[in-house]
Amino acid sequence: MTTDRAPVGVPFRFARWLLVRSAGALFVLWAVATLTFFAIRLIPGDPAEAILGGPGSQASDEALAAVRAEYGLDQPLAVQYLAALGRLATGDLGTSYSLRTSVSTLLAEQLPGTMLLAALSLSVAWMLALALATWSTRGGRVPAAVGAGLEVVAAALPHFWIAIVLILVFSTGLGWFPPISTAGPAGLVLPVVTLALPLAGFLGSIMRESLLDALEAPFALSARARGESELGVRLVHALRHAALPAIGLSGWAFGFLISGAVVVETIFARPGLGRTLLTAVTARDIPLVIGVVLVVAAAYIVLTVLTDAASRLADPRLRAA
Amino acid sequence: MFRAPLSPRRAAGGALGLAALLLLTGCSAPDAAPANSGPVTGGTLTYASGDAEPTCLDPHVGGNYPQALISTQYLESLVSKNADGEIIPWLATEWAEAEDGLSWTFTLRDDVMFTDGTPLDAEAVRANIAHLQDPETLSSTGYLALGKVTSTEAVDPSTVRVLLSEPDSALLESLSQPWLAIQSPTAIARGMDENCASPVGTGPFVVEEWNRQNSITLVRNEDYTSPPADAEHDGPAYLERIVWRFLPDSASRYAALQAGEVDMIDNAQPDTIVQAAQDDALEELDAPRPGASNRLELNSGKPPFDDVRVREAFIRSVNVDDAVEGLFFGTAERSYSPLSSVEPLAVGDESLFGFDPEAGAALLDEAGWSERDAEGYRVREGQRLTLRLPVSTNQSIPAEQSLFEQVQATARDAGFEIVLEPLDLSSWYGALAANEYDLVSAPYTKVGPDVLRILYHSDGTTPAPSGYFANHAQVRNPELDAILTEAGQVSDPDRRAELYAEAQRIVLEGFYILPLYDQQNTYLLRSDVRGVRALPTVSAPTLYDAWLDR
Repeated sequence: MTTDRAPVGVPFRFARWLLVRSAGALFVLWAVATLTFFAIRLIPGDPAEAILGGPGSQASDEALAAVRAEYGLDQPLAVQYLAALGRLATGDLGTSYSLRTSVSTLLAEQLPGTMLLAALSLSVAWMLALALATWSTRGGRVPAAVGAGLEVVAAALPHFWIAIVLILVFSTGLGWFPPISTAGPAGLVLPVVTLALPLAGFLGSIMRESLLDALEAPFALSARARGESELGVRLVHALRHAALPAIGLSGWAFGFLISGAVVVETIFARPGLGRTLLTAVTARDIPLVIGVVLVVAAAYIVLTVLTDAASRLADPRLRAA
Repeated sequence: MFRAPLSPRRAAGGALGLAALLLLTGCSAPDAAPANSGPVTGGTLTYASGDAEPTCLDPHVGGNYPQALISTQYLESLVSKNADGEIIPWLATEWAEAEDGLSWTFTLRDDVMFTDGTPLDAEAVRANIAHLQDPETLSSTGYLALGKVTSTEAVDPSTVRVLLSEPDSALLESLSQPWLAIQSPTAIARGMDENCASPVGTGPFVVEEWNRQNSITLVRNEDYTSPPADAEHDGPAYLERIVWRFLPDSASRYAALQAGEVDMIDNAQPDTIVQAAQDDALEELDAPRPGASNRLELNSGKPPFDDVRVREAFIRSVNVDDAVEGLFFGTAERSYSPLSSVEPLAVGDESLFGFDPEAGAALLDEAGWSERDAEGYRVREGQRLTLRLPVSTNQSIPAEQSLFEQVQATARDAGFEIVLEPLDLSSWYGALAANEYDLVSAPYTKVGPDVLRILYHSDGTTPAPSGYFANHAQVRNPELDAILTEAGQVSDPDRRAELYAEAQRIVLEGFYILPLYDQQNTYLLRSDVRGVRALPTVSAPTLYDAWLDR
């Protein structure tokens, strides 16, 4: 078989790629879990206090000792780390200290809400960015300046500020949307817009620049020379080119959305991973924090693979490579 | 990475947004006149809590305020307290202290059932006290409150006797707290996880569903028969259902109330209280918590505050009145006592806390802090007069955190350097346990003046890394210890009042604390929600008498 490489070459290359990719993913997950474990343990403060002592209460010695024994917090740090790692290796995410429920159940409850929020925000951000980029590159100084200005301002706005302004204007003022999450879709509008605006600013500014480059490129010129309409040139040729860097950024955008979800889910009182993460960190709830972080990291890895694939689809040069 | 430094434009955007919001927030239509002449049965009330979501709905476990807020709707205690501060019957109809003070006998109502069908009897009470005292329960508040209880006997089905190691003048007050409420022993026997998710009591509502990180649904107990003696009506509650939500952000919580998405909120902040006062559609329920006042405690266990002159100098040098007025918009009244103003035995002394920088400066000179360094801070033997103030961002509201900044600013003029350290709850406990603080504000809610023993008896001074300690001022005064111990035992009310007054005087005159105001506890509700009151025990709201006038 070693002499006859050609027939097995392609599947072999694919298998190797898959193996390398999976090993890489496993390494990332291990590193994420380890960093999270030690980061939480290095924050000053006793997890047992966090588990027992809500605001205004004082835990007794006996209760603290019982909690430490129950969760193994009286063991040396290395032992706790190895125990946690061993548990994770068997796929067991453990039990949350603070919510007294299995972490996988909690994540399964909280994941859909956040994913829906992130997916909608990413779509809305893409639409806003595309619209703004196509409009602001149509020529003329005013659209260009307005486009650039809006992008920079949007990208710089902090989520909590947008959220409060949207609530005051569209909920308290106009009464169009509820200020907190509700059963219906109306409650999603303000959180989605809050998350989408800054992201649209980032995506928009990249798209606009590459769109400008593309419109100057020889292929655009030749398309125009073939008699295609300006709209056709933009939609068929230039936009595809301009979307590439933005597609590449969508993996990063997901991370940005998850960090934004911490703020947005708290302000709009939406159940979800972001809010869970915040509670978990405050409570030094190591199993829950690691669970959330692992899920986010796994989603990030999957998304990176998907953006790779999407880039290949949009860019024939990558397919050849 | 793509962020251009464009702060002026950002600022302009901010100004524009603020202008828009000022225009828009002015308009909200007042509600119409009352729709009904008397209480109406039915409807769902949505309550939005700004407190953390409890990790366990059984307040025996741990025992904090968020648990007290919700469990007051479905659990009941042996006794309650009325608006005059008197202990009144609830699940117990009568009680008597033995001659020697070493036991109490309680007579229980004989017609009350837990919502799982288990009868309320002496055996149930015994099981509850045993549950609270079992280390496996992880009770903090209830466990500490029962410190003197050695055992409980069921004399007959409706009589229970509590035996004590020494007389306990605070026993009734302790038992009135929601953290010592009586639950179904059958439900307790299911184990902690299940009881945390669905505790069973005798209250007017029943826990139906707990949707974690989102809401808890309570439904009416149709067979309810046991309101406290000061309730407005008998029989089942008016409301059919309560949806209890968690809205941690104070701005969106208030917006949700204004929009009518929720009917009642807690933890109302000073700015929203002032706004709500001008809105006819909203009403305010101000219910300061009992126990200790909110106060800065001066750590007298180490330099520089081991010198009473430095403590007095600090207290004279900070302008608290102006800061409270400016930051709380008149919603908080200045306190001069270690105890909450709702405690009948509270004693205050305004004269000890006057703002007098000159007197402060003289005291510092006298104590040897006479030099100033290049930055204007006082120094002694090369050491700067630095005070560490760890601030719990979970327990100090934004207005209070700003207050500490103002304290920092005025103390600076006098030559004190205050280092503010904002910390989350767990890190904050860590800083206290490591004795890394000179000043601290630690709220403590408890029914009755016995809280003074917890806060100022020298037993509570050991800041071991694991240990429980609440005497953050680190007061070690044998005379005070003796007074507090005696006050915790005497049954004569006059003598008790006298002793607690003396104890408070020692704490105040020793300049161990700088009282600020009561523990703020303001609820806002829609005007068409009627009949809501705060139980005078720990000021948690009860929705038993509540009804919707719409």
